[in-house]
Amino acid sequence: MNRRTAIRQLFVVAGGIIIASSCSSDVGGSSIQLNTIRLTAKDEALLADLVEAIIPSSDSPGAKELNLHLFVMKMVDDCSDPEEQEQFIAGLKSAKKLEGKSTDEILAYLEELPKDDVFLHLLKRRTIQGYMNSEYVMKNKLVYELIPGRYNGAVKIEA
Amino acid sequence: MANLNIDTVKDRTYDAIVIGSGISGGWSAKELCEKGLKTLVLERGRDVQHVKDYPTTNMYPWEFEHRNELPYKIKKENPIVNRCYAFHEDAAHFFVKDNEHPYVQEKPFDWIRGYQVGGKSLLWARQTQRWSDFDFDGPARDGFAVDWPIRYADLKPWYDYVERFAGIAGDRDGLPELPDGEFLPGYPLNVVEKYFKQKIESVYPSRKVISARCAHLSKPNQIHLDQGRVQCQNRTLCQRGCPFGGYFSSNSSTLPWAAKTGNLTLRPDSVVHSILYDDDKGKAIGVKVIDRNTKEEIDFYAKVIFVNAAALNTNLILLNSKSQRFPEGLGNDSGTLGKYVGFHNYSARIYGEYEGLLEYKTDGRNPAGGGYIPRFRNLHRQETDFLRGYAAGFGAWRMSNSDQSGLGLNLKDSLLNPTWGNWGVGSHMMGETIPKESNYVTLDADKKDDWGIPQLKIAIDYDDNDAKMKKDYLDTMEEMFITAGFTNIQRNESSQAPGLDIHEMGGVRMGLDPKTSMLNKWNQLHAVPNVFVTDGAAMTSTSTQNPSLTYMAFSARSVDYMVQEIKKGNLV
Repeated sequence: MNRRTAIRQLFVVAGGIIIASSCSSDVGGSSIQLNTIRLTAKDEALLADLVEAIIPSSDSPGAKELNLHLFVMKMVDDCSDPEEQEQFIAGLKSAKKLEGKSTDEILAYLEELPKDDVFLHLLKRRTIQGYMNSEYVMKNKLVYELIPGRYNGAVKIEA
Repeated sequence: MANLNIDTVKDRTYDAIVIGSGISGGWSAKELCEKGLKTLVLERGRDVQHVKDYPTTNMYPWEFEHRNELPYKIKKENPIVNRCYAFHEDAAHFFVKDNEHPYVQEKPFDWIRGYQVGGKSLLWARQTQRWSDFDFDGPARDGFAVDWPIRYADLKPWYDYVERFAGIAGDRDGLPELPDGEFLPGYPLNVVEKYFKQKIESVYPSRKVISARCAHLSKPNQIHLDQGRVQCQNRTLCQRGCPFGGYFSSNSSTLPWAAKTGNLTLRPDSVVHSILYDDDKGKAIGVKVIDRNTKEEIDFYAKVIFVNAAALNTNLILLNSKSQRFPEGLGNDSGTLGKYVGFHNYSARIYGEYEGLLEYKTDGRNPAGGGYIPRFRNLHRQETDFLRGYAAGFGAWRMSNSDQSGLGLNLKDSLLNPTWGNWGVGSHMMGETIPKESNYVTLDADKKDDWGIPQLKIAIDYDDNDAKMKKDYLDTMEEMFITAGFTNIQRNESSQAPGLDIHEMGGVRMGLDPKTSMLNKWNQLHAVPNVFVTDGAAMTSTSTQNPSLTYMAFSARSVDYMVQEIKKGNLV
């Protein structure tokens, strides 16, 4: 990101990730600032389709709407070791052929990857993590209480 | 015109100086200020004010950039502190990073530190079990270290005193090995913890499972409300600092209380270099400080000095306080300074599952963390081939599962509709270690920190007694788990280095004989009566119980004694 775009950009906070609304999309970079890996706008669009295939929208938002592709990018960039990052980038490169394909085709591709595929494992793990810890799920589905104010050690589960 | 030179000796002179603002220093400060002494508290780290300086305290999980994980770079740069269970995105700012304050490991030692106002009292696990005569009798009965110069009766009124103010939740269990105190209502054991208690106590009458006692305001009294603290809200996000003051810390309790007296001067960013000893006067006269930021050297003066720098840093300061009279460190006539360091053996855990009581779950969160099993091994008499014994934590939690094998709508549906699994159960050991001369700290001859102070060299290790005790814990707990009908039992032996228990103790031990100990029964240096050490450094032996409550009691007791001495005309 050059100084000019840094000064110009507007920030939107989505799930703790700062998205620069005008940041270098014209030069084909990612919409969030990455520190150690490089991803293009095309990579980002593909990742959006991949995470959406893993957790699709239904009567509730899917992964793309929740910006989980950005979360995956952020986590791979900051929290993966260099080896894992390399394997992720390689896996993403192999998945390039999915650009513009349907969700069913994407799912079929992912399902055929070997069980120990690092790219799939990482993509899925981070997507699930981002989903379960998303504001949407934690407010509307599996509600997280910041302030429970109680502890009961024996509650009967209603059948 | 008045003299504008404010930097006079008079302006740097107080009645008392407290080195350190953590859990014991906060207590020393509160007691000194309440008794009318103008008190300077020196804290080497930055200021952290209650609530205002808890930046993450009200954050939701999704508001953390990495959902509470720490970036790879931070983990890689901090292998030591990264091993601490509480070092995550929400509290990393309260931990010392490895490269900020290096030390020399003659043997592996994970030294976990919190350099800020409040110290580790912001971060502690808040477990507050009293020690008993089974602990204070230990060295004399079993022939190690030296005899404690006190017994439980000496400390009991001070446990009462600090518990009333700090706020301790617990049940009155009537166990001599873990004496009852001035408790707020205890947190309940959950249904499976209760089941385990009943089962174990019926099969093994000498083994008890109780609700862990903890420094949480389960039902605050007026004295707690007066501190500006309210009822614990069961958030169990304590390591972030609590906006309710629901748990006890220096920041929420003792320091603001001390400040209200008007007698407190708190000076953060003050790295203590040494205690100044006047060879002519034959006593300590003050403290040499290096300003953390400016590196300026400043001397402060006082009649009495309380050393509460946290166990190993208290050792470091005394070792670095050299004078003609004490060339080997302040008060070190015995040659024991820095030696006989102990810790707690936390290197074994055991997990399992319980397939009963599946009609129950828990609701809300338990600040006490669950159950506590007081020491039963070698309690009344020696019965094994190792000395002393262990306490143990015990907890149960209802597991929930969701099948994550699929992709697409199936996966989404499964994630949003978890099903109940078995109960998970787990226990961890808290073993007493034997303080030995060969477990010691010294000053490194060459390496210094950024403030010109010698780095601490640490040589502390497990021994054969610890290995035997660990095996006994695992065998015994496994048997108890089997007795309770738990399944899928997993023994977990970690090779964690000493230090990660964050219960390092000793090096400036109490004792009756000045030839073999540093401190007398009032935590007063035998050889320098106006210097008191009331943190973990003073411990003659380690017991199995979490030690912070005992440091608090020692601090309050020592200040009371010291003030009486001043009234008698001593210590002036």
